[in-house]
Amino acid sequence: MSSAVDPITRSVVEHRLSSIVTEMGEAMLRTSYSQILNSSRDFSIAITDTQGRLVAQADHIPVHVGALPWATKAVEERFRDVAPGDVILMNDPYHGGSHLPDLTAFVPVFDGETRLFWAVVRAHQSDIGGSTYGGYNPGATEIWQEGLRIPPIRLHEAGRPRDDLVDLLALNTRNGRDFRGDLAAMVGAAHLGERRLGRLFAEFGGATVMDAVASIFDAAEQRTRAIVAEWEDGVFEGEAFLDDDGHGRQDLRIHARVTKRGSDITIDLSDSDEQSTSFVNSSHANMQSACMMAFAFLIDPDIPKNAGSFRPVTVVAREGTIVWAEPGRPVTMCTSHPSNEIVEAIVKALSQSCPARAMAGWGRRFRIALQGEDPRTGRSFIWHMFHARPGGGASVAGDGWSSIGEWHTVGGLKFGSVEFAEARFPLHFRRHEFDPDSGGDGRHRGGLGVALDLVVETAEPALANTAGDGARHGACGMLGGHDGRPHAYRLLSAGQPPRTLRTKEVGIAVRPGDVFEVRSGGGGGWGPPSERSAAARARDVAEDLVAAQGGA
Amino acid sequence: MTSLRIGIDVGGTFTDLVAVDADGRTLFAKSPSTPQDPSIGVMAGLDELARRHGLPLGEMLARTERIVHGTTVATNALLERKGARVALLTTEGHRDVLEMREGLKDARYDLRVAPPAPLVPRRLRLGVRERLRPDGTVETALDEASLDAAIAAIRAADVAAVAVCYLHAYKNPAHEIATVERLARELPDVYVSRSSDVLPQIKEYERLSTTVVNAYVGPAVRRYLTNLERRLRDGGLAGNLFIILSHGGMAPVDEAGRLAAATVLSGPAGGVAGSRRCAQLLGIGDLIPFDVGGTSTDISLIAGGEAALSSERGLAGERIALRSLDIASVAAGGGSLAQLDAGGGFHVGPESAGAVPGPACYGQGGAAPAVTDANLLLGYLDAATFLGGRRPLDLAAAERAMDAMAERLRLTRDQTALGIHRLINLKMADGIRLMTLRRGVDPRRFALLSFGGGAGLHAVEVARELEIPRVIVPTVASVLSAWGMLASDLRYEVSRTHVGDGGAMTGARMQDVFAELERQARARLTAWFDGAIRTERSAEMRYGEQVFEIDVALGDIDWQAPDLVARVEECFHRRHEDLYTYASRGQEVVFVNARVAAVGAVPTLEHDPKRWTPAFGQDHARGEVLRPDGDSTKNHPARAQREPPAPDGEAPATARRRAYFDGWRDVPVHRMETLAPGAAFDGPAIFEAETTTVVIGEGDRATVNELGWLDIALRSSLSPA
Repeated sequence: MSSAVDPITRSVVEHRLSSIVTEMGEAMLRTSYSQILNSSRDFSIAITDTQGRLVAQADHIPVHVGALPWATKAVEERFRDVAPGDVILMNDPYHGGSHLPDLTAFVPVFDGETRLFWAVVRAHQSDIGGSTYGGYNPGATEIWQEGLRIPPIRLHEAGRPRDDLVDLLALNTRNGRDFRGDLAAMVGAAHLGERRLGRLFAEFGGATVMDAVASIFDAAEQRTRAIVAEWEDGVFEGEAFLDDDGHGRQDLRIHARVTKRGSDITIDLSDSDEQSTSFVNSSHANMQSACMMAFAFLIDPDIPKNAGSFRPVTVVAREGTIVWAEPGRPVTMCTSHPSNEIVEAIVKALSQSCPARAMAGWGRRFRIALQGEDPRTGRSFIWHMFHARPGGGASVAGDGWSSIGEWHTVGGLKFGSVEFAEARFPLHFRRHEFDPDSGGDGRHRGGLGVALDLVVETAEPALANTAGDGARHGACGMLGGHDGRPHAYRLLSAGQPPRTLRTKEVGIAVRPGDVFEVRSGGGGGWGPPSERSAAARARDVAEDLVAAQGGA
Repeated sequence: MTSLRIGIDVGGTFTDLVAVDADGRTLFAKSPSTPQDPSIGVMAGLDELARRHGLPLGEMLARTERIVHGTTVATNALLERKGARVALLTTEGHRDVLEMREGLKDARYDLRVAPPAPLVPRRLRLGVRERLRPDGTVETALDEASLDAAIAAIRAADVAAVAVCYLHAYKNPAHEIATVERLARELPDVYVSRSSDVLPQIKEYERLSTTVVNAYVGPAVRRYLTNLERRLRDGGLAGNLFIILSHGGMAPVDEAGRLAAATVLSGPAGGVAGSRRCAQLLGIGDLIPFDVGGTSTDISLIAGGEAALSSERGLAGERIALRSLDIASVAAGGGSLAQLDAGGGFHVGPESAGAVPGPACYGQGGAAPAVTDANLLLGYLDAATFLGGRRPLDLAAAERAMDAMAERLRLTRDQTALGIHRLINLKMADGIRLMTLRRGVDPRRFALLSFGGGAGLHAVEVARELEIPRVIVPTVASVLSAWGMLASDLRYEVSRTHVGDGGAMTGARMQDVFAELERQARARLTAWFDGAIRTERSAEMRYGEQVFEIDVALGDIDWQAPDLVARVEECFHRRHEDLYTYASRGQEVVFVNARVAAVGAVPTLEHDPKRWTPAFGQDHARGEVLRPDGDSTKNHPARAQREPPAPDGEAPATARRRAYFDGWRDVPVHRMETLAPGAAFDGPAIFEAETTTVVIGEGDRATVNELGWLDIALRSSLSPA
C-alpha cells in the first residue's frame, strides 16, 4: 500500500473526488434537455487519469461503469497535444465507444503545466442520425446505418468552441435543438468538474492528489481482493443466450469461463458465438464494461468503483465474436443485449465460487415504440414504452423486486405516470399490475413482471417497432432456482387471431382499438424451490403473486 | 399580564416552549419529551412555563390567545412503522401502483437487498370496478357489487384506516365520493383518506402514496391532537390551538387531522419558520438554515426572505407529494462514528452512535470515536460545561477511543481528531452544495444560519468550504423552532389539474380556474380566521417532452391582460432558465396544475430579544443569569481561568482554554449571554451558550449584533489572503 499520504488526507481527497462527480451529475440532470437524460438519467460521470484509469465515478447507469477507461485510452491515443481549454468528443464503438447514441465529452484537467485528469461526461442521445429515429434499428447490417460515427474530435480548441463542428453534428441528428442542448449540458458539467478539480490541486498540490489517488486505488484493490480471496478457487463456466438476432439466427450463446485463483479472476468470453449481422453485437468497450458490471454486482456495493477495485479482474475475449464485433458491424443494442447475457453468464459461472453473492437473473429489455396521430389534437406522436418493467432476480437477501427493470438499469429507470400517458397520448391502460406466476420459483422467488393491456385509441392506423430480447429465454434462476417466465407480448386486433410480437420488428401495423397484451418477464428464483418456506408460499398465494398451483 | 401566545416544539429529547406576551416579553421553558404520549411532556412544559410566569396553569391558559404546536406524531409513526393497518380501494387492474414505485430502486449496485414492504400489503389493496378517462368522463361506472365485495374484505381485515384512490379522480371525484359515503355508512369507525381530497392532482403514484401515508398516520395524529386539545380545554385554554404543517404554515386541529400526511415535517418546519423570522429581523433575504443534531444535519433554504418549498419529498422511503418545506437531511452529526474499512479507508458516518451508547465521551460504553469525541479532544467542547453542565463528558473515554483509532491509522490523537472534524465538515458542506445546486442558486451569496446544538462547532468551517462569507448564530438557537412557530401564518392550499382537459388553455379559462380555486381557499381560511387574507397563485408547468414539472409563482401577473397565457408561459420560461440555465421558448408548454394558497397573516410578533429569559436555570431574573461571575466559573474547574477585561474595550472573556487551530492555541472562551451588542472578537475564539458552542478560526471576526447574536465574517471575505 502506498504510504506517501496519510489516511486522513487520502480520505479527504477521496471524499472530494466523489463529491465532484456527484455535483457534476446533479448539474447534468438539471441542465440536460432531453427526457432520456433528465428523467431516465441515462448518463454517467467519471474522472479518469491520463492512463485511462477510472479515478471516480458517480453511481448512475451500471452498464457504463467500466466503459469510460477505454474511451479515455482512445482519446489519449488520438491526441498527444492536449491543451488547457480543449474539449474532446467521441462516440464511435470502434474508437473506444460503446454504441453510437452514447456521446462522451472529455475536458482535460491540468495542475499547472501538467495534465493529470479528464472530467468525463457520457450521455445517451435521443437521436444520433442513421436510418431510424433513436438509433435502434433491427434492420441494420452495418454501423453506418445506425447513425453518425464520431471518432475522438477536438470540439473546443484551447478554449475556443468549434461551432462549425457542432453545426455539422447537429445537422446530422433529427432534433438538432435537443442535441445542442444536451451537448452544452455535457460540456458544462465537465467544465464544472474541471473547476473543482483545479481547486483540489490548488489545495493539496497535484503530486499529493496523485499519491492519494494511488493510495485510493490500493485501498479499493485491497478491499476487493479480501472479498475475492474468500471465494472458492477453480475454473467455472456459465452461459446465457440471446433469443435471436432478428436476422435468422436463434439462441446466440454467450459463454464465460471464469478462472478464480487466490484473489485474481480471469473472465474468458472467447467461446461465445460468432458475431452477427445485426445490432446485437457488442463493441469491445461495452463487453469490458459488462464484465466489470457483473463483478461490481458480486463484490460489496459500497466499494468505490475505480481502477483499483477492478484490478483483480482480467478479461479475455476474441474479436469476431458476438461480444466483440469486428469494425463495421452494427452494435446499437449492445448496452442492453448482449450486456445482460454477458453479466448473466459471468454471475452463473461465479455462483459456483461465491454462491451467497450470486443473485438470480434480472429481466431483459423488450421495448415498443408507437407512432401515430392523436385524434384529440390532430398531432402526431411517438410513444416509447417504459411501463411493464420486468422483475428483478432473487438473492440470498430475499425475493426479487417486482416491476423493477433489467441487469443494466436495476431500478434506475422511472416509467412515469399512467394518468399522464393517457392524458398526453391516445392510449388507455386497461390493466397495469403485477403478473402472477411470472417470477421464477425458488427458496427466494423472482420478482414479478407486469401485465399490461394497452388499448390504442387512435382514429387512424398507427405503426409500432420493437427492439429487445427475452421472449424465448427468461431471466436465469440461480443455485436451483427456476428461470423467470420470459416476456410474452401479443397484439390483439378485432377479427384477427392474436399476433405474437417478436422482439426485433419494424413497421407493425396497429389498427384503432387494437390492444397490446404485454406480459413482461419475471426475475429468476434463487435456491431450490423445495427450500421455500411454507409461510412464504402461503403469503404468495394470499397476495395473489402465485396461483395456488402456479409458479414459473 | 396581557394575552399570551405559546409555541411548543416537541423534539427528540426536549420539548421546547416559548411564550410571548403582548409587550414582547418572552419566556422559555424546556421539559423532557415523552415519546409514548408527547402530550405529557407538553403539559409538563406548560406547567413549567406557568411557574415561570408566576401563574397557575389554568390562569395562564385562560390568558392564552393562541398555542402553536409542532408535532412529531406522524413523523414517528412513519419512521418507526407504527402507523395504522390500512386497506386501499383502487381502480381494478391497477392495484400495484404503490408497490411498483414507478420502477425505481436506490443503491444501484446493491442487488442483494429485499424489496421494502409497502405500507399496504397486496391482499389489502383491493381493486374496484370503475374507470374514468383523463377528461373526467366515465368509461366504466362504479360497480356496486365490486364495491360490496371490497367493503366485505375490509370488514374482515379489521383495519383502522382506508385509503381510496381511483385513476383520474383528480378530475372527477364522483366515484371516490360515492365510495367514501358507503364507507362512512358501513364502517363508521375507520379513518378514511380520499385521494381527490388529499391531493387532487394528476400522477397516480404520487397521489396514491400520499393518500396511503395520510391513512397510515391519520388515526394516530387525530387521536393525539384530539386528546391534547381536550386536555388544554379542560385546563382552561380559551384561545386557538394551531398545528404547524410541513409547508411551514399552520392550521387548526381538525384540518391537521384530516390532512395528517401534511404534518410529517411539522417539527422541523418550526425551525424553518424561525429561520425565516431571523431573516426578517436581520434584514437578510438569503439564508441557509443549518441545524446539526446527533445523527443528522438538516439543511433548508431561505431565498428572498421565503422558505423554499418542494413537492418532491417523502419520508422513510414513502412518497409524500404534498408541498412541503424543502429540508434535506444529511447523515452527519455529533454521533457520527469514525471507522476504518477493510482497505484501510477512513470514514466518518453515516453510522451513528445514536443516543445509546452515544459518543465515547458519554461514558456509556461507546468504543469508536464519534464527531463529538473529536470536538472534545480538539478543545472545541468543554467536558464540564456540555449542555450547560447537565451532561459532563468523560474526557478519558474519548481519549481511549481516539487513541485506539489513531494507532490503527498510525497518526497522532490530534491528527485523528482533526481528520474526523474535517471529514464531517466536508459531508455537511456537500449537503448544502447539492441543495443550492438543485435550486439553481450560488451558496456564496447566502449567509449560513447556525442553529441546533451542534451547528456552531462546524458552521464556520462548513461555510469556509463553500466560500460562504458570513455565519450568523442566534442566541436562542436551541429554541428557534418553538419561537419561529409563533411567526407562522395560517395557510391553506388548493390545487387543480388542468392537463387532459383537451384543447388549449385560454386566458379566460385560466382566469376561471384560478378564481374558483381562490374562492375555495378563501372560504376555507375564513372559517379558521377573521383577519385579512391574501392569496398566492402558482402553476406547475413543463415542457411537452419533459416528465417533471416546475412550480412557478405567478405573483406579478396582470390577470386581465389579453395575452395572459403567454405571460404565464413566460414566467415558466424564466423560472426554467433560473433553475436549469436555459429556456426553450419555441417549445410547447404544458400547464399541469394550478395552485392557490390562502394565507392569513397573524399580527406580527412584538419582539425584543433583549427581554428573553433563557430556558434553563432557575427563576432568576435576566441580570443574574447574565452576570459574568458567580456560578459560571464552577463550570470550568480544571481548564478555565478567570481573566480581567481586555484593555481594548472588548467584553471580557469568561475563560481561556487550549484548543486546536493549526496547532494548539490558548484561546478565549466567551459566554454568549454576557456579550454586549457591538462587541467584536477576532478568532480563534470559542463562544459558549447553554446548549451550543461556536468556534471561529484565525482571521475570522465575530461581531455581536443588536439582537445579541453572533454575526461572523469569515477571513476569506475580509482579505484576499
